[in-house]
Amino acid sequence: MSAMRKKKKIKERKTTSKPCRFCVDGSAIDYKDEILLRRFVTDRGKITPRRITGTCARHQRQLSRAIKRARMIALLPYVKIYYR
Amino acid sequence: MRAYECVYILDPALDESAVNEKSDKFSEIVKSRKGSITSMNQWGKRKLAYPINKSFEGIYTLMKFQGDNAILTELNRVFRFDDKVLRHLIVLEEHPEPEDTGQTEDAGAEAKQEDALQ
Repeated sequence: MSAMRKKKKIKERKTTSKPCRFCVDGSAIDYKDEILLRRFVTDRGKITPRRITGTCARHQRQLSRAIKRARMIALLPYVKIYYR
Repeated sequence: MRAYECVYILDPALDESAVNEKSDKFSEIVKSRKGSITSMNQWGKRKLAYPINKSFEGIYTLMKFQGDNAILTELNRVFRFDDKVLRHLIVLEEHPEPEDTGQTEDAGAEAKQEDALQ
């Protein structure tokens, strides 16, 4: 049990220390850049939370605005329909 | 005067001349209201992420312009009444990068002049 707990703790630490990629490379977030935005959206079309992607608060705000704009002009889906 | 950018999606059934006609019409609205067009970029026919008015494709055009509020109200009105426009989005240019594209020529020219002086 104790071993498992330790493992979990180490994993958590690693994820939290991941730097924001927009801060690192200083690239701008544009709502027209569909390929970039697709990386920050789940396969269902939802915006990925920043605890998973590791973006900082400022860039996450810019990202979410860009994604919402991209949805308006049909570059990104609001919801993805799964056909069975 | 502020810098805006506008994306609009046209009906995919339109042919090239009709598309050009539309873009002329919209740019005329900007120009007639003391605005200036910085760039016009046709993305061409693209697949839509979701169907709009039962069409799965659309013809995208990006128009960057400078102007006043009067242009926006008029553009919004015209876009809304035009059946061939599936979607439109007008936003302020937020990144200095697209503004730079308008100014890079000037900046580049200045830099060249400076070089020449040195």
